[in-house]
Amino acid sequence: MKRTAFLAGSAAAAALTGCGGSSAPGAIAIGSKDFTEQTILGEMYAQILEKKGLPVARKLGLGGTQVAMEALRRGDIDLYPEYTGTALLTILKGKASKDAAVNYATVKRAYQTQYQLTWLDPAPFNNTQALATTQAIRERYHLATLSDLAKAAPQLRLGAIPEFTKREDALPGLQKAFGGFVFKDVKLIDIGLKYKALELGQIDVVVAAGTDSQIETDHLYVFVDDKHFWPAYQVAPVVRDDTLRAHPELAAALNRLAPLLDDATMRGLNAQVDGEKKDSVDVARAFLTQHGLA
Amino acid sequence: MSAAAGAPVAIRNVIVTYPAADRRAVDDVSLDVPAGELLVLLGPSGCGKSTLLRTINRLIVPDSGTIEVDGRDVRDETPEALRRGIGYVIQAVGLFPHMTVGRNVGIVPELLGWERARIEARVDELLELVRLDPQRYRSRMPRELSGGEQQRVGVARALAAEPRVLLMDEPFGAVDAIVRTALQDETLRIHRALGATILFVTHDVDEALRLADRIVVMSAGKIVQADAPLHMLAKPATPYVERLMDAKDAVRRLQLIRAGDAMALGVDVPTQGRIDAERTLREALTYFLEGADRLAVVENDDVCGTLGFDDVRRAIAAAER
Amino acid sequence: MSYLLHHPDEVARRTLQHLEIVAIALSIAFVLALPLGVLAARNARVRGPLLGVLNAIYTLPSLAVFAFLVTYFGLGLVTTEIALVAYAQMVLVRNISVGLLGVPAALREAALGLGMTPLQAFLRVELPQALPVILSGVRLATVATISIATLAGKIDAGGLGALLFAGLDNDDPNRIFAGSAAAAALAIGADGALRGLERFAALRARG
Repeated sequence: MKRTAFLAGSAAAAALTGCGGSSAPGAIAIGSKDFTEQTILGEMYAQILEKKGLPVARKLGLGGTQVAMEALRRGDIDLYPEYTGTALLTILKGKASKDAAVNYATVKRAYQTQYQLTWLDPAPFNNTQALATTQAIRERYHLATLSDLAKAAPQLRLGAIPEFTKREDALPGLQKAFGGFVFKDVKLIDIGLKYKALELGQIDVVVAAGTDSQIETDHLYVFVDDKHFWPAYQVAPVVRDDTLRAHPELAAALNRLAPLLDDATMRGLNAQVDGEKKDSVDVARAFLTQHGLA
Repeated sequence: MSAAAGAPVAIRNVIVTYPAADRRAVDDVSLDVPAGELLVLLGPSGCGKSTLLRTINRLIVPDSGTIEVDGRDVRDETPEALRRGIGYVIQAVGLFPHMTVGRNVGIVPELLGWERARIEARVDELLELVRLDPQRYRSRMPRELSGGEQQRVGVARALAAEPRVLLMDEPFGAVDAIVRTALQDETLRIHRALGATILFVTHDVDEALRLADRIVVMSAGKIVQADAPLHMLAKPATPYVERLMDAKDAVRRLQLIRAGDAMALGVDVPTQGRIDAERTLREALTYFLEGADRLAVVENDDVCGTLGFDDVRRAIAAAER
Repeated sequence: MSYLLHHPDEVARRTLQHLEIVAIALSIAFVLALPLGVLAARNARVRGPLLGVLNAIYTLPSLAVFAFLVTYFGLGLVTTEIALVAYAQMVLVRNISVGLLGVPAALREAALGLGMTPLQAFLRVELPQALPVILSGVRLATVATISIATLAGKIDAGGLGALLFAGLDNDDPNRIFAGSAAAAALAIGADGALRGLERFAALRARG
């Protein structure tokens, strides 16, 4: 009995020091959240830096905004792609402006002051939130705008991730801005499964992101934001200041990627992974090679 | 087998109070048990007899008072060392189900660090002592045994380290009457063979009368009377004892007197039957009731005396003095 | 299915990683649970509150706990193990205490009365008797840990969860299948093996 405990203890100690996602000391740890667009971005950041000869460790697929942000603050990762909207509302708990540039400036300033984290250049694509549905449902209920949806909601089932039910730029905010928006049922679904649920008819309306590829491939209808409720959100790498100091060339390298990513491009990359089932590593490499970044 | 001579036990002013109770479980009890005595603690449930027994091997620690075994205070050594020198048999037997009979019996020697060969030999010796064939029993598992067999193993286990004191707490309460009688006989036989001091707890008056050199009647934590069985029947100290022992019943006393002790010497009278000297006067009475006037008392097939009803009366009268 | 066939080495690697995570968790959990279980068995006043606390921990949603712990312990194995060990306590402590309480009092009385120290009585008599129930708890805790350990994939600690969630995040049914099938196989295998052990212990305890 005692011997077993000792062996277990030493095994534990040995294993804990050599972590499961091991990064070599000095390697730049690149994180990402756990959906397609994030893993593609994370992979691209990694390959760009590797091309520059920097040591890189990948910690992609982290479980949510909180996990990623805490890991970044602790230094378990050195950078990850974050959206201005998410940063404003979930992390800083502030108010979003309609102007994308204003949002970017706000988060950049706040992150620098409060967390010693730097926002690099934002990509042009707008990953704002949206609500989408099938053409069939749209026709059946004669829906076009978010206002229409607000009134029709009691007959419809919504599929969303838990964050959506809490964020001010999500359901609570929609209810305040439009009235209504009381759905017959709200099903909490993993991001990766929501379009499947819509396809199977288990939900009628899905929370979408502007660059989701399924919008094109499944021919979905995105509700018109008639009150301009949702501001424009942009993505950028958020990096630790000490990492930037240690690797001054990092910022310039990643900033070369930003201008290349507009709505169509990002959606196309997402589609290759989600729709064509290609590996995100290959998709990233192909894109970067094409543009001479890797 | 070496005779393990008994050790004396001295109990002085022992008081035990249970935390939740308003009265004492053992109320200032003092008792001297001479070496080799078979002492029976007799009384109804709750009288404190079990509690008192368990202060001797420190399973219960008294609030005050001292206990000495073989002249040494039981607090002078660790509880484990003390208990390994004192045999302990309980009603539920408590044989370890996952060990063979042999391993059960040899457990105390194993704890004491005896070598394998010595333990094996001792286990065989003890199984024979309790009349269980070692060949057949040593590899059996407890659950394969009957209640009586289990308790024999329990007794063997208690004796393994040659204790000079043996504590038995209502050991035969869970077996049927026939088996109980056989086990009582075993106890007497072992006591004679080993000479250990035995403290035996029971609520069964007949059992007490059969086994005891001395009976201690307890009630409400106190000793009511301590006396040899015959004396107690002849001279009960309180009405309670009288009722408990059914002391007025003279026939009861017949069980306690051997034919050999009551017989008349001189062998020239006619007899109408024979009786072994070891048998009690109670059996003799049966013969008399069936028509015999005199019986020949026999020891190893030799007639050594005769017994008539007048001898019986004389023996009873003598006991009262 | 095709992922399993095309990348058996990757599946094997993740499976081994998963086993490692689970083995460490269970070892630490058991070492912690044993004294707690003994305490709960011996002390009636402690038992209720202790099991209540452990049960409350057990009902916390796992991903939330993982995310919360990342704040203090970061990504990786340490956080994973803390969460897994905490979750395993309820079942283990409960079964250890129930197992010990199920040992007839006469056995402990006899053991002590014969001169065993409390530790000897515990190791030689009570533990072998309580073992079947304890092993049942180990089995339940093992299967649960194999399952919860998939969440390690969301905090960069590897294991089959990494495979499973990579599949989920990228809508890749092949990887989803590979990850979940391997985890299921592990769970079923562990359950079967421990059931066998449990049966053996029960026979031995009975005699």
